[in-house]
Amino acid sequence: MVDLRSEPDLHPLANIDQVIHAPARLMVLTYLYVVESADFVYLMRLTGLTWGNLSTHLTRLEEAGYIEMIKEFQGKKPHTIIQLTGQGRAAFREYKKSMAQVLDDLPD
Amino acid sequence: MSQKISLKEAERKAFTITIDDGLWDILLGCFFLEFAIAPLLSESMGDFWSSVIFLPFWGLVYLVIWLIRKYIVTPRVGSVKFGPARTAKLKKFTIVMLMVNTFVFILGLIAFLSFGVVSGQIYPAILGLTLLIGFSLAAYFLDFPRLYIYGLLLALSPLVGEWLFTHSDVSHHGFPITFGVTCSIMILTGLTIFIRFLHNNPIPVMESPVKEG
Repeated sequence: MVDLRSEPDLHPLANIDQVIHAPARLMVLTYLYVVESADFVYLMRLTGLTWGNLSTHLTRLEEAGYIEMIKEFQGKKPHTIIQLTGQGRAAFREYKKSMAQVLDDLPD
Repeated sequence: MSQKISLKEAERKAFTITIDDGLWDILLGCFFLEFAIAPLLSESMGDFWSSVIFLPFWGLVYLVIWLIRKYIVTPRVGSVKFGPARTAKLKKFTIVMLMVNTFVFILGLIAFLSFGVVSGQIYPAILGLTLLIGFSLAAYFLDFPRLYIYGLLLALSPLVGEWLFTHSDVSHHGFPITFGVTCSIMILTGLTIFIRFLHNNPIPVMESPVKEG
């Protein structure tokens, strides 16, 4: 197996953030990047993910410190508000930059 | 991946999901219904009261839509706080709409005070143009293309009404017919979209988290 880090030309690929790189998480972060905050149901509708799937991906993003989940009650119902952290915003910007750089360098 | 990830498009989608439930169409349709019904009431109630009577009607429609949004729409689509770009755009929209509405108010006042002095297509043309500009601006600022069509229909309503009044035997400058048809189109479109919205967006049921593969 080729160690990407030992290959100077492929080095940027090895640095791609794997937490963000999964399509579902990328989608979630893209939407959170353009709004201030959103609740769980809103993200579910926007991304088309199921409750269980979204919950899993949000937990992963929260563990990485990219999002903050604020749990509260609206009457008797639990309500979760999700927002991007400063670290998450920076990581998304960096991911965008890295991907653009890697893909721009590929031949047609 | 064949599609480019556009942050602008993502933001647009994030915003339009909150307004595309048909309720705006119904609200606007009910609002402009005054142009169709007030002329019919003016003979028995007078110009002033035939317009004023719509205030409680609008209040009731607004209250019903607010309750529907709170108890039926929000549990289905959730809630969101928009970023600074969208907030700034909405602020600009509010200022522009205030200016347009002030202009319409002044126009209405002039028309009321000089009624009968200036006739023909002048007032219908100015009213139509103002409605078209107002709705086009709203469509642009709210990323809501359907408003362009409503603007066009509402702009044509006074002009076609006046034409019908001149060329055939219709009463009240044709407003009850033309605005009635336009408002019916808006309300029926809204109802259709709202029913489709309810069908496509059931209240989500809580599930356990799924293990990643």
